[in-house]
Amino acid sequence: MAARSSCPGCGSAALVEDAHYAQQQLVCAACGCVLAEGLLTTTYAEEEHLREVAYSQSTGQKEQLSRCLQRGIRRVQDLCKVLQLPTVFEETAVLYFQRALQHPSFHLVSLEKKELLGGSCVFVTCRQHNWPLTMGTICSLLYAKQELFASVYLSLQKELGLSVPALSLGDLVKTHLNSFRLFQHTADVPAPFVEDKEKMVARTMQIVELASETWLVTGRHPVPIITAAAFLSWQSLQPAARLTCTFARFCKLAAVDLLPPAHLRLKELLEIFLRMASQLAWLKVFNMDKKTVVKHIGDLLQHRIFLLKRAFCLEDGEEQCATPTGEGSASSPLTAGGAAQEEGCPSEGKRQREGGPRPLLPPCLINPRKRLRTAAPSASDSAITGDEPISDSEIEQYLRAPEEIRAFRKAKAWS
Amino acid sequence: FKDDLSTTPQLFTPMSPYDVDLPIQTTEDVLFGSQLNQPKELPTDFSSVDLSFLPDITQDNKEQNLSEDGHEMQKELDGSTSRKEDSSIFMDESGLSYPDATQPSPEASGACPPLTPMTPMTPVTPASESSGIVPQLQNIVSTVNLACKLDLKNIALHARNAEYNPKRFAAVIMRIREPRTTALIFSSGKMVCTGAKSEEQSRLAARKYARVVQKLGFPAKFLDFKIQNMVGSCDVKFPIRLEGLVLTHQQFSSYEPELFPGLIYRMVKPRIVLLIFVSGKVVLTGAKERSEIYEAFENIYPILKGFKKAS
Repeated sequence: MAARSSCPGCGSAALVEDAHYAQQQLVCAACGCVLAEGLLTTTYAEEEHLREVAYSQSTGQKEQLSRCLQRGIRRVQDLCKVLQLPTVFEETAVLYFQRALQHPSFHLVSLEKKELLGGSCVFVTCRQHNWPLTMGTICSLLYAKQELFASVYLSLQKELGLSVPALSLGDLVKTHLNSFRLFQHTADVPAPFVEDKEKMVARTMQIVELASETWLVTGRHPVPIITAAAFLSWQSLQPAARLTCTFARFCKLAAVDLLPPAHLRLKELLEIFLRMASQLAWLKVFNMDKKTVVKHIGDLLQHRIFLLKRAFCLEDGEEQCATPTGEGSASSPLTAGGAAQEEGCPSEGKRQREGGPRPLLPPCLINPRKRLRTAAPSASDSAITGDEPISDSEIEQYLRAPEEIRAFRKAKAWS
Repeated sequence: FKDDLSTTPQLFTPMSPYDVDLPIQTTEDVLFGSQLNQPKELPTDFSSVDLSFLPDITQDNKEQNLSEDGHEMQKELDGSTSRKEDSSIFMDESGLSYPDATQPSPEASGACPPLTPMTPMTPVTPASESSGIVPQLQNIVSTVNLACKLDLKNIALHARNAEYNPKRFAAVIMRIREPRTTALIFSSGKMVCTGAKSEEQSRLAARKYARVVQKLGFPAKFLDFKIQNMVGSCDVKFPIRLEGLVLTHQQFSSYEPELFPGLIYRMVKPRIVLLIFVSGKVVLTGAKERSEIYEAFENIYPILKGFKKAS
């Protein structure tokens, strides 16, 4: 509206600029007629300084999604940023999370579970892209109990019908070793303990592959195996200086958690190496033990294919390779089902002499724990039809006598 | 309710009331029972009748079975093992396991000549390749409706073998020694019986619990006895590469060594969950019928054997 000099109502020229509360108004002093009110548009100069707002940050998106979903998505995005995952992972994880939350079985679960659901979506995304992320890592990031996380993860997998490939051990080795603090000389890590990362990774991979071939990996938690393999590879690269260092000290130096099963894995790995050493020509004469065999791990790994065949009894029977076929350290790819050397030997009784080849079996079969076995159903059990008459005396043995009831009533206050 | 207690003892004479046939609401029982009462008239439609207890469909066996009491549902392991040896066994499979089974020709009517072996009705492993291993049943879970409201405090007070802690769980936990089982008895009158090693044992145990409740003065009946779950286990005697199995059967398997040392295999037909361990031990669960466990094991055995010879 163009500025006026006279009031349209009364024609008076007494126009006053006044504020009605916060709104500027041009008012006629004579009759009180309002000529103009506060401006509603911005000027051209003001609009130049406006910034573009992304949809995800505008209120538009907020209005479409529930607050719970928004919070969950933010959490998923934060997790991806902390883990430094590529953007593609973030988008996929958010998508899974949205799908999952709409599903009836997740819609009404507790907030704690919804947070674990977000973590599970990130975990599934990583596994589908073969990104080696362990459940332990996610649980520690979410401060979650592993059993609860496990149940949420399994139900997510089932409800959304996601196929999750198995954890690739090779990648996990590299990721796990990345967190070891042994590759630089610091105040805690003396010079002889510092190790070259590439060499250590390569040797640890070889030891983990060997463990996988000799049934030490199947059914076990992967991380303790990698820790034990890392320890052995580190020791064997410079045995002179490092043999005196214990496993626990090694883990403290490397700033890595020592999980309880790692000690057992270490023992099992050393046992495998000792058996292999007993078949190596220039080591046969020595009396190897757990400490000394570490010095020769390099050689053992180099000839491992040949040594495995010699040291362990295979199903195809008596054949023992006379020629060393395992020259060279070409590491076979870490395929799970394809390894050739591990068949259980049914005729293990043949080779029970000390130091002789033992069957290549999982440790649970080699050291079976003594268990109470329930007897197989006896003949009298089999004859039960389900309709036998039930004698009164048999039932009455389960009922309390009146004196007992009285005594019980006195002893306990039945509310 | 209190009035009922005073009158019920007269309704139930000390003679075991379960000698009288109570209406047990299982279709197989009713169907089969009625058929056995007319021995000469054999059904031509086998689809709904559970015949898996019959060891062999030979004339001698049929007559022998016909003379027995008609309430038997399923025979024991011996019967089931011997049936593997004869290809004529495929006629035994109940309609539940083989829904697409063709009907056998009506040669079994009246005085039947020895039945000729039938061609297998579904493409299962031929008998010659059967594993020779029979899974053993380890646990049966069944439910039954006693059809009367129960006073749990009263039961816990008057029964020696009962424990009741309402703050922890809203049911009485009762145990009997023979067959060694445990029952959860709820105030609504429903009961869950666990721990039996066979279907008949489970039924006998459930009847004993119902008798205990009866003797305590409640008008307990025995309705809708149903086997809800059966668990079996066996050993294939060779180690198994679980990592390989999860690669080739990804759509059925779930192997998470961080969570559980075994591989969880969800078989579609029959709908059974198998826990497969590296030592070669296999646990099968989720079955409502014994035959489902056997069938599931026969399905998984060639797959596992394939992994044994992998090279």
